[in-house]
Amino acid sequence: MSGILVFLEQRDGMVRQASIDLWNRLQEQAAAGAEPQPLSGIIAGPASTVGIETMLSGSGTIYHVSSDLLCLYQPESYTQTLAELFERSGCSSLVFADTALSRDLAPRLSVRLGASLLSGCSGPSAIGAGTCMRPVYAASVVASFAAEAERRIYTISSQGPAALPRKEGAIVIVPVDDLSCEPSRPSAFASRIAMTSTKPDVSEANIIVAGGRGLGSADAFAMLDELAGLLGGAVGASRAVVDEGWRPHSEQIGQTGKTVAPRLYLACGISGTVQHLAGTGGAVMLVAINSDRHAPIFDVADFGIVGDVHTIIPGLIKEVREFLKKK
Amino acid sequence: MKIAVTVCFVPDTASVIDIVDGALDRSRLNLVMNPFDEYALEEAVRVRERHGEGSVTVFSAAPASSKELLRKVLARGADGAVLVPVEDTIDPWQTAMLLSQAVSVFYGDVLPDLVFSGKKSTDFQSEHVPVMLAELLGIASVSGVIALKETAEGFDAEREIENGIECSSVKLPVLFSVEKGLNTPRNASIRAVMDARKKPIEIFPAGLVGKPRVRLTGLEAVVRKKQCRFAGDEKELLGVLANELHLS
Ligand SMILES: Cc1cc2nc3c(=O)[nH]c(=O)nc-3n(C[C@H](O)[C@H](O)[C@H](O)COP(=O)(O)OP(=O)(O)OC[C@H]3O[C@@H](n4cnc5c(N)ncnc54)[C@H](O)[C@@H]3O)c2cc1C
Ligand SMILES: Nc1ncnc2c1ncn2[C@@H]1O[C@H](COP(=O)(O)O)[C@@H](O)[C@H]1O
Repeated sequence: MSGILVFLEQRDGMVRQASIDLWNRLQEQAAAGAEPQPLSGIIAGPASTVGIETMLSGSGTIYHVSSDLLCLYQPESYTQTLAELFERSGCSSLVFADTALSRDLAPRLSVRLGASLLSGCSGPSAIGAGTCMRPVYAASVVASFAAEAERRIYTISSQGPAALPRKEGAIVIVPVDDLSCEPSRPSAFASRIAMTSTKPDVSEANIIVAGGRGLGSADAFAMLDELAGLLGGAVGASRAVVDEGWRPHSEQIGQTGKTVAPRLYLACGISGTVQHLAGTGGAVMLVAINSDRHAPIFDVADFGIVGDVHTIIPGLIKEVREFLKKK
Repeated sequence: MKIAVTVCFVPDTASVIDIVDGALDRSRLNLVMNPFDEYALEEAVRVRERHGEGSVTVFSAAPASSKELLRKVLARGADGAVLVPVEDTIDPWQTAMLLSQAVSVFYGDVLPDLVFSGKKSTDFQSEHVPVMLAELLGIASVSGVIALKETAEGFDAEREIENGIECSSVKLPVLFSVEKGLNTPRNASIRAVMDARKKPIEIFPAGLVGKPRVRLTGLEAVVRKKQCRFAGDEKELLGVLANELHLS
């Protein structure tokens, strides 16, 4: 019983960065392990595989099902295709990056394949062991889970980019064209994706500039947009701000919003309630700007500055601009 | 229009989550309806109101002591509830199995037209049960919907994905798991609370569902407290950021 099949998610014909990072982390881990399990991959849908071996490290076979029926995420077509390829591959583990698509697809497949589903795992080290750790109860607790079935499906939370690909070994692309991707059960039919932003999504951003009620108005978020733009990051929001209608729900972070794992989380005018912190546990560094020296956010921050966001943020933007100019 | 809504109960957000000897201390927990299920139920009630006929039935796999909690759910507009009494050691797959059995028994040979679930439970946040339930019932589903429009054929649904919105169409029967913001749930009126006392809560004993596929092996409290270092001005703050972000 061995072999790991990695789902390489494509959007608009490009393999997504989250999947590439996952593949490379798994290769890294395999290289370090005593008995590495062989890795193979699946791309579902028409996608450009030119140059893919420069992005993916190590060796492995990548099955590519380029049917047009898989352009967009069609739940049933994807489920059938992956279930069939998993059966054929003889692998015991199927691994996904934790994304909106995999959160829908993985539970379907686990039922279809009779597999244990370990989702939102904090790292790929889980895979050999059939165990998984992830935050529960508003991230105030970490739970460990163990797979009981022989087949396992994992979704792994983002941990940012892995080390640069190593060049040994070969990535071999194998086109698969004998699969019917016509859905044979009732299914929703995705007709299009409306892009809402070209900036990184908060769930995937390395840098997040998040704003709370302390900003005082929707207009004040212009300065967060500007700062996030300069730093190459995304804007996030507390629920208070979303409920006021200042920002869209897609930017909400916390228990009833998104869970994020950036390298830097800059919390501006956010008090730091448990419900908000439920989403920020994955941040490597948390920096807080708040006018109240005793705001709870400072209890969980690595760095802080006490003051009014309306003076600190413009000041910081000025400093960043000067810094970038000098570089 | 026959509509099923799945509901689970979770510690309210003010609860003190205490781990004692690797297990959750339940003595001080105050349970409430999972916040995402409030949006699910509200949407179900709105569909029924729009159609002017039909029924909304709540399904919950929960400890037998959850009847009072279910009364509060009924006060939000459901017509009745089905409780499958369980211990809390079951995994999401077993939960989905029990719910699918209960749905099949309750509706007989026909499936409900619509099933609404919450996007995730706020305690374990697994996001497994709704899609597993749809798969077991053999019906289509869309997860995490933020907008729904009824069409001649079924529904047009929108859900959030990274950087965008995925638009899809689906025919009945269908299960939707519901994201925060789909609607604004109503508060139960005193009248509705009174009426809820007369609504039926049926108990369906749990059937056989096999062994769990995932076992919880440990819980550990997270220590989040850090020693915050304070910067005096923006320049110093930039220094910290530049260093950490390898801008320099
Ligand atoms: C079931 C449930 C789920 C929830 N889910 C979420 C969730 O997912 N995400 C979430 O964020 N919340 C969530 N909440 C809400 C949460 O409890 C808080 O209400 C919310 O996080 C507060 O947002 P805030 O920090 O922006 O506002 P506040 O708590 O009002 O804090 C504003 C902060 O700004 C500071 N401030 C004010 N003026 C300035 C200034 N000029 N300069 C600098 N600082 C200033 C203040 O000192 C204060 O600390 C949930 C609540 C419930 C009940
Ligand atoms: N024990 C349960 N009984 C009824 N519905 C449940 C149960 N557990 C989960 N659900 C439903 O599934 C949704 C997602 O839960 P989860 O998969 O646990 O994140 C919840 O919002 C409920 O609608």
